Amino acid sequence: MKDQIQLLQEIESYLEGQLSDAERASFEARRQADPVLNAQVEEQQLFLQTLQQYGRRTELQQQMDRIHEHIATPKPANVVPIRKSTSYPRRRTITNLAAAACIALVTSLSTIAIMQRAAKQKTTAQYEDVRRVLNNIQRSQNALINNMNSTSKKAPANPGTYGGTGFAISTNGYIITNYHVVQGADSLYVQNNKGEAYKATSIFEDISSDLAILKIADSTFKSQPLPYQLKPQPVNLGEEVFTMGYPRDEIVYGKGYISAQTGFNGDTVAYQVSIPVNPGNSGAPLMDSEGNIVGIITGKQTTSDGIAFAVKSAHLKRLLDEMPKEKLPRREWTRKSAHLESMSRIDQIKKLEDFVYMVKVYN
Amino acid sequence: MSDHLNIARDRELLQGLARNDDKSLEIIYLENFPVILRMVQQNNGSDDDAKDLFQEAMIILYEKVQQGDFDLYSKLKTFLYAVCRRLWLKKLQGNTWIGLSDHIEETLPLEDTMEEHEKRDEQFRIMQKSMGSLGEPCKTLLADYYLHKRSMQDIAEKFGYTNAENAKNQKYKCLMRLKKLFFDQYNDTK
Repeated sequence: MKDQIQLLQEIESYLEGQLSDAERASFEARRQADPVLNAQVEEQQLFLQTLQQYGRRTELQQQMDRIHEHIATPKPANVVPIRKSTSYPRRRTITNLAAAACIALVTSLSTIAIMQRAAKQKTTAQYEDVRRVLNNIQRSQNALINNMNSTSKKAPANPGTYGGTGFAISTNGYIITNYHVVQGADSLYVQNNKGEAYKATSIFEDISSDLAILKIADSTFKSQPLPYQLKPQPVNLGEEVFTMGYPRDEIVYGKGYISAQTGFNGDTVAYQVSIPVNPGNSGAPLMDSEGNIVGIITGKQTTSDGIAFAVKSAHLKRLLDEMPKEKLPRREWTRKSAHLESMSRIDQIKKLEDFVYMVKVYN
Repeated sequence: MSDHLNIARDRELLQGLARNDDKSLEIIYLENFPVILRMVQQNNGSDDDAKDLFQEAMIILYEKVQQGDFDLYSKLKTFLYAVCRRLWLKKLQGNTWIGLSDHIEETLPLEDTMEEHEKRDEQFRIMQKSMGSLGEPCKTLLADYYLHKRSMQDIAEKFGYTNAENAKNQKYKCLMRLKKLFFDQYNDTK
């Protein structure tokens, strides 16, 4: 205890510059020779700095509060509700009117419901999720030759039952995809374009907007900073967009344009996009020409070619906001590392493809 | 021309702030707060939100000025407005992880400023907590010596120690306790 106090005293005099030149020189020599001492000096330095800063900030805060009190904040005068005195119609008239209104309401609501159901029945057949049913042909063979000792992160031999696409929304392994891709999954794997596969779990799902958030199980997973941003503002009709997904075992690029502001059957959650998509594209990012995320591919219309639907990015943002706090990753301020907007499409794709994953579903 | 003069005036005010001149602080505060208040009110914030936001921006400004490496290239109003806007957006976005492009062009590069501020803010909070759990008389003793720069003699008299040497010993004991409290948490956050 005594020694510690003495040492602390010495460090303090050194930092405050109270030592004579000779003492100072000898102390510095000791400091250089003894890493423990050096660490202690640095610690003390940091500590004193923080303490000073604490003191100054507390004082500043008090001062500002004093100044603030002088700012006359004119409190709004108590608003006295002014009630207009009206002559009330006779009670019987009101009862009659109310009854009429009720009947009218019930009639119109039921008409709407019936009409909608009829319309839906007619058209459900035309909508198709674009998740992919993977074939199982090679399954048994590969499973046999799969070397159990191999430690490299190879994809499991079983190609999975269903496949979709997903993309990273944080650098520590959070991936977004469609709910219908992971629906009823026993286990999930995500695989990047280099063929590295990671086990993942679905941690949050929203059926209404057909979105799901997956987390790579490996807690040490860390990717490069994300090159893209989420753009929650609606995109204009006709804007050029592109997507990248896994309708095959390889990443596939597709280009198109926003063709309507609503999705299938006037669904306001989605856009209609004129872009070639195939089973397996579900969950693929939809990007504008500057490389911002504007939506997520979910499905296509079976009756005609080239009509796809994508959930608007605003719903992705809402989903992230709604997610229970304990599930959120440590807040990450991903600074845009690359400026996609000024790149050619080929370079944009090169940057982006590392962040688009194939989602494999086993059930 | 008038812009140029304004910057010169702003620089003077900042120098005042660096010297802990109360008058400068008051002028900066009173001149800039109404702008921020209006901004926050237009964005559905309360008066208290505006106060918190503005004071945080002032702390950022103050700490930068104190460090001595702050060079004003724009008007002070612009700087404070940009910082407040950034803080406000951050507050509104809460826990979003992908940076939202807000489509209002950023006139001032504030990345480093904000990052530095977050780090300092963390340190400040830890110190505040440590000080809070330190207890008396240590808290006052340390504040008197390190923050208010009072002499050991004064402190000995105030706290009733027989001499300055005793007071000094007590001070080191307190300092060691505070350091332990501080670093226990500080190292956890790293």
